[in-house]
Amino acid sequence: MRKFIISLAILLIAATALAQEGHPLTGTWSGDWGATATQRNHLTLVLSWDGKNVTGTINPGPDAVQLGSVFLDVTNWTVRIEADGKDQAGKVVHISAEGKIEDLSSAHRKLAGTWSQGSSKGDFRLVRD
Amino acid sequence: MIKIVGSFIIAGLLFTAPGFTSPQRPYSSTYDTTRSVKLQGVVTRIDWVNPTAFVFVDVRDAAGAVSNWAVEIGSPIELERDGWKRSGLQIGDAINVDGVAARGGVRQASAKSIVLTKTSKRVFGPAAARRAAAPPSPAPRWPDGKIRLGPPAGKTGYWGAASTKVLVENTATKIPMTEDGLLQNITDADKVAPLLPWAKALYQHRQRTFLASDPYSRCVPAGGPREFQTPNGFQFVEQKELGRILILLGGGDRNWRVIYTDGRPVGSAAEAVPSYYGTSVGHWEKDTLVVESVGYNEKFWLTSGGLPHTEALHLTERFTRTDLKNLKYEVTVDDPRTYTRPWSGGWTIQWVPDQDVQEYFCEDNSDFIR
Repeated sequence: MRKFIISLAILLIAATALAQEGHPLTGTWSGDWGATATQRNHLTLVLSWDGKNVTGTINPGPDAVQLGSVFLDVTNWTVRIEADGKDQAGKVVHISAEGKIEDLSSAHRKLAGTWSQGSSKGDFRLVRD
Repeated sequence: MIKIVGSFIIAGLLFTAPGFTSPQRPYSSTYDTTRSVKLQGVVTRIDWVNPTAFVFVDVRDAAGAVSNWAVEIGSPIELERDGWKRSGLQIGDAINVDGVAARGGVRQASAKSIVLTKTSKRVFGPAAARRAAAPPSPAPRWPDGKIRLGPPAGKTGYWGAASTKVLVENTATKIPMTEDGLLQNITDADKVAPLLPWAKALYQHRQRTFLASDPYSRCVPAGGPREFQTPNGFQFVEQKELGRILILLGGGDRNWRVIYTDGRPVGSAAEAVPSYYGTSVGHWEKDTLVVESVGYNEKFWLTSGGLPHTEALHLTERFTRTDLKNLKYEVTVDDPRTYTRPWSGGWTIQWVPDQDVQEYFCEDNSDFIR
């Protein structure tokens, strides 16, 4: 038991030691979104801060969607994201999300809120890698 | 004989967990300076180690229950410099402690003074006033006339305490804050540095949480200007034949930093491997070493008070040894992703003659690692 506690403590130290202490949105965020607790879609969000704007990509790769706008309200650490993707038929699908950064000081801070993609609506949960 | 004395009896009963927090945690996040504590008890253990010496004391409360308190007494290096010795206290001694209580439910205090109960002899106390400074000696020089940043030929010594543990913009009026950078008035954030809105909000968040998430308290290296404000000081090693200057850092985890003086360009932040101390190149402007650095990671706080930065950080540092015992440190912070404009601050650093940097490991004092 003692070894387990020591190992856990060391793991926690190692995890926190990797913290990113710059702009709170910068980095890669992983998680999912969906309409229900069982219907989830994998979600990766890569964000960066250039000094004037937060830019980023949803699900980098062949199906990547560039973010159109990201607004961070630093008075309450809420985030609003807008983007236009395409469905399999090539039709434009608007994506919008509103969430809040939780556990701001943690390396693995969270971003969670509501997600809207075309006619689908649900929630999203992301953890910074 | 063994008891908690004074008004702290009731408050003392509220403490339930054995005391011990990281010695590198900011003082403000560890101790509540508004709450004093008086303890009377028997010494059970003495940890005379860097970075912070502790005395453990068995204290009996009014109901007769005994609890063990961790009493922080400061850096052994500074204590010895002030004339205090480890032998001043023995296990089994009955002592009276006057101190500051730790935050939260821990049995820990920071001692303002410790006296032997039987004789009232003081065994630890506040840092003594430094002796009057001797007339300044000129800064030592190499045969080629360049300033020596390290010890004079044939001598030892290192750079010790900085005149301040905080960094604020030079133009700022006196800003009330604790020694570790906790503002008395959080609305003074704008006076500390020209922060962009997100950076100001993050800085204020760190202030409101008493600097508790400071990476340095988790033994993460203190990069940037803060490397010269950590306990235990630092040393320059000038390797002229190799075109570089090493800075051996006594605080944190005995790290070192390289400043290249061979004429290479500093490069761009985008091409550098992000690191705690950045990529540094230096050149001399008369008697001042001017160092340009880029390539910082975002894993540390720029200052003890929690000023943030990004990987776009570019520091220009100016080291001027004005005489044997004084080093003027000036830094210009240029990070357009964090600040509205470049800004500058600095402090002076005192020479510690005839001594070497002592061993210091952040992980010491951390009971769970033993």
